Amino acid sequence: MLALLFILFAGLAVGCAIAVVAQRNPLYCAISLIGVFISLACLYVMLAAPFIAAVQVIVYAGAIMVLVVFVIMLLNVEQEERRRQRLAFLVPAAVILAAVLIAEVAFILSSVQLSPVTPTQNVSDVGLTSSIGTGLFTTYLLPFEITSILLLMAIVGAMTLARQAKMLSPRARVVPGAQILALNVIDPRLPLDDTKALEASTTTEVERLLAIAHDHDSTPRD
Amino acid sequence: MDWQPILDIAGKFLAITIAFTVVLLIVAYTVLAERRVLGFIQGRLGPNRVGYGGSLQPFADLLKFILKEDIVPDKSTRFVYFLAPVIATMAALMTMIVYPFGPDVNLPFLHTTIHLVIARFDVALLYVLGVTSVGVYGIALAGWSSNNKYSLMGGLRSSAQMISYELALGLSLIGVILQAGTLDLQRIVELQSRWHGAGWFLIWLQPLGFIIYLMSAIAETNRVPFDLPEAETELVAGFHTEYSSMKFALFFLAEYINMFTVSMLATTLFLGGWNVPFAEDIFGRGTFLFGLIGVVGFLLKVCGFLFIYIWLRGTLPRFRFDQLMNFGWKFLLPLALVNIFITATLVFLNVL
Repeated sequence: MLALLFILFAGLAVGCAIAVVAQRNPLYCAISLIGVFISLACLYVMLAAPFIAAVQVIVYAGAIMVLVVFVIMLLNVEQEERRRQRLAFLVPAAVILAAVLIAEVAFILSSVQLSPVTPTQNVSDVGLTSSIGTGLFTTYLLPFEITSILLLMAIVGAMTLARQAKMLSPRARVVPGAQILALNVIDPRLPLDDTKALEASTTTEVERLLAIAHDHDSTPRD
Repeated sequence: MDWQPILDIAGKFLAITIAFTVVLLIVAYTVLAERRVLGFIQGRLGPNRVGYGGSLQPFADLLKFILKEDIVPDKSTRFVYFLAPVIATMAALMTMIVYPFGPDVNLPFLHTTIHLVIARFDVALLYVLGVTSVGVYGIALAGWSSNNKYSLMGGLRSSAQMISYELALGLSLIGVILQAGTLDLQRIVELQSRWHGAGWFLIWLQPLGFIIYLMSAIAETNRVPFDLPEAETELVAGFHTEYSSMKFALFFLAEYINMFTVSMLATTLFLGGWNVPFAEDIFGRGTFLFGLIGVVGFLLKVCGFLFIYIWLRGTLPRFRFDQLMNFGWKFLLPLALVNIFITATLVFLNVL
């Protein structure tokens, strides 16, 4: 039963992984990648690590891939064109390296089977939430904190890069949903320069910037 | 031959069939209730012709959905177009297996104990969050594959909105987890059965978390006042503009099942699940009547939540999109963090 399930999920994972590379429509690639993540989560469940499986689905399938799909939809990426391969001489190298990799895996598998059987322990609680939490906040506290700081640095770095490339004005607060108005919309005499922009987050601000007389407040209703 | 594993699997299938049938029936009647209650709020009658007081209206609607012509747009991405409603409905249905519908019941003559929860495992709450987060793809892909600008805008809005409110939703649950010390939903419900079953401690001790959860849950299910993905005054019908017949019905179903499951989670975590005050004193733990009262009480609480959803729809106007984002990121998220901070401090000081 377990072997059957393993073959099912492993096959699904490998199939989806191949589809990620082979598909030329970027959205199909993204969907296949979600398939890979979910089949991996199923494999984690079979390895008695339900917490990792849940986190895998929440973080990778549920958050990161949503962003990827979001960007693909937003930019409306067209189907990738088939180009002539410029680095054709690398193909034999790739084949050789793949063969080496498969040989390594085969060697490891065979040596594992040759080694004496280690007795499996009783049902462990290694994969359960409480044991992972205890481990993270006691034994591995320092690596955990360092990883958090690394993530924070990545966020700050992304913001800095976006500001340096003048994609955002230095004063811009990033509020999703705020409207960015190019300066030459407001004053057509200004040079066409789309790096400068004003930000408005309410309708009244937009009206003020565009100098539209808003008379809907003064006119009496009814 | 050992029949036990086969019997277990058959039992699980039976449980799933019963639970899903009951829930789908309640969902069908939620649609009717919504139309009738909205009619009452707006000073009209609502559907009351089919059956007694409109009681057969859901089935008439279903028949209509099935018999409608199924139109597929020419320029749509067909595979994704067909996949999207399936993902939406499946993700909505899949969370239903972890909720405890009632307490453990000892059957009177068979001398066995049945558990009124389909699957009970360590990370049930995380499973719910994970499956819900996969449900976003149904709407996002539907918007993209329809090849229609209104659908695309609806899909984009919905994915942005759901990513934003998922954070507040997840964080509002952490206060409960901190107090309960477990992610197992049945255990969380059992912890609330003190004070003669009225110790729904999570609404007494987590009022802030409860309010944050309620607001972000409404946003997660794309309901009024957060129904920007299908704002009909701006986007025709949003992400399901190009869907007709049964495929539209699947989206419709998914929305109402999502409402139901979100209400079940709120009941389980904040309103004591199947705990009915004084039921244990009267009937005793584990008896058949106690189980029955528990299940009925649980479903009644869930229906109360569904009524709040309908009430809000009849009362509140729609947000604007930037207001929605500001509300989620600048108000709900900091509030949820404050709630976690306070709860964690109190738990650390052994006050709670």
